[in-house]
Amino acid sequence: MRAAAGLRVAAGATGAALLGYGAYLLWTDTRAGTPLRVAWWLAGALVLHDGVLAPLVFCLGLLLGAGRARGVVRAGLVTAGCLTLVAGPVLLRPGRPANASVLPLDYPRNLALLLAAVACATLVGVWWRRRGR
Amino acid sequence: MNLRFRPPAADVPPHDARTATVIGRLLGVALLVCFLTGLVSHYLQEPPGWVLGDLPTRPVWGYRVTQGAHVISGIAAIPLLLVKLWTVFPRLFVWPPVRSVGHALERLSIAVLVSATLLEVFMGLLNTAQWYPWPFSFRSVHWALAWVVAGSLVLHLAVKAPLIAAHWRRRRAGPETGSPDDATDATVRAPGSGTVDADRRSLLIGVGVAVTAVTAVTAGQSVTALKGLDLLAPRDPDHGPQGLPVNRTARAALVRRAELAHWRLTVTGPHPFTLSLAELRALPQHAVTLPIACVEGWSKTAHWEGVRVRDLLARAGLPDGARLRVVSLQRRGAYRVTEMDRAYTRDGLTLLALRLGGEELSMDHGFPARIIAPNRPGVLQTKWVSRLEVISA
Repeated sequence: MRAAAGLRVAAGATGAALLGYGAYLLWTDTRAGTPLRVAWWLAGALVLHDGVLAPLVFCLGLLLGAGRARGVVRAGLVTAGCLTLVAGPVLLRPGRPANASVLPLDYPRNLALLLAAVACATLVGVWWRRRGR
Repeated sequence: MNLRFRPPAADVPPHDARTATVIGRLLGVALLVCFLTGLVSHYLQEPPGWVLGDLPTRPVWGYRVTQGAHVISGIAAIPLLLVKLWTVFPRLFVWPPVRSVGHALERLSIAVLVSATLLEVFMGLLNTAQWYPWPFSFRSVHWALAWVVAGSLVLHLAVKAPLIAAHWRRRRAGPETGSPDDATDATVRAPGSGTVDADRRSLLIGVGVAVTAVTAVTAGQSVTALKGLDLLAPRDPDHGPQGLPVNRTARAALVRRAELAHWRLTVTGPHPFTLSLAELRALPQHAVTLPIACVEGWSKTAHWEGVRVRDLLARAGLPDGARLRVVSLQRRGAYRVTEMDRAYTRDGLTLLALRLGGEELSMDHGFPARIIAPNRPGVLQTKWVSRLEVISA
């Protein structure tokens, strides 16, 4: 047990050292003003996730209840949500892309197709679960 | 205001330690792959002094695989990260919020871990779409935050080690073995109970489906076998001049064809020389099949023909290669002047390419001559080359 405790302390110290190196890079290897701006963006990420996204998803989860098809619906919602998030940048990027080979696809159509496919698969899954297999 | 609001319970499955451990493991693997492949890219672009002259040029597709894996693991981490945070979300509301100095430090380190990971993944995803809405340099901040994420994650693992160990395997029915300093993590429901396990399994299947979906529809930008499913990736291997994507066009680099009429290649060294395009074409030509691979995650293998850099240096009196400064005609962009390690210049696969896919290079691919070298970041495969300057033999 003592070896495990020692390993744990060593890992903790290593983690703190790496974290410190990251902070050092942020402080010394960036332009003046960057550390403060990054701190604001970090805080913003936390507020957006913990204050908006997570509570929304959590409430949605409560609404789902505990029915037999809960798992299937949850899988469908998680998949659709993640596909939408991943599509966010290619859909919302403002301005013209640098050239024709950047963002060359029809992203709104592709996302709609994917969401429709997820919805169909979820409905089939729900029907399958309700049928009681 | 509803004073009877009760925060969500922190220990009811799937918001329990076992679920957090299982998803955390998968997220850990994704972040580890992302971190290591990021290191590879950083050090290939800015090699530390002690590897100079020995940068790895094999496997030739190394950079293609590592950078494909970087973006694939980063995108796969999105569902894992969000679901992991969702499983531990109730713990945000533990009461009292701070029990001790140690507890306060732990919560602070978790705030650092969560915010840095969210921002790091977000920045990476936006970079693949070439979207930079933040008021700082992507490159230096993405690099620094990578260390912040790695460090705070290792610290988090060390703090939670007993809890992770206790939940590493599925629990058999029996007394809880939660750590003494984290007694609240003990599950309230009967461990190993059927419904709890089934719900956790269904959650994991759901996460698996989500990870598979986001990976499948984006990985085609670098994985040829998944090209047909490329629906949401910022790049498509078939879109681009001569069937190859481009980052900086001739227009964006302010290189005009009319100005190239009197183009000459200059090579410095013990016996410096200049060559016209016709003279360059008259030298022995070599064909290589090498990928062009971008740090943004897209890549494609192509057929190149041209003159070996090794042969050009031998002609300049340096038969064993040399560390080079490659100068481009481009007027805009941070990579007008790049350095090439001696390991590449003595490698027979490194070309000053004149042709791509059996045709003369198009303007956007670097006409009249560009560098193509094995296992090298795309941003260093300099286009519109005008000078090869020897830095040291």
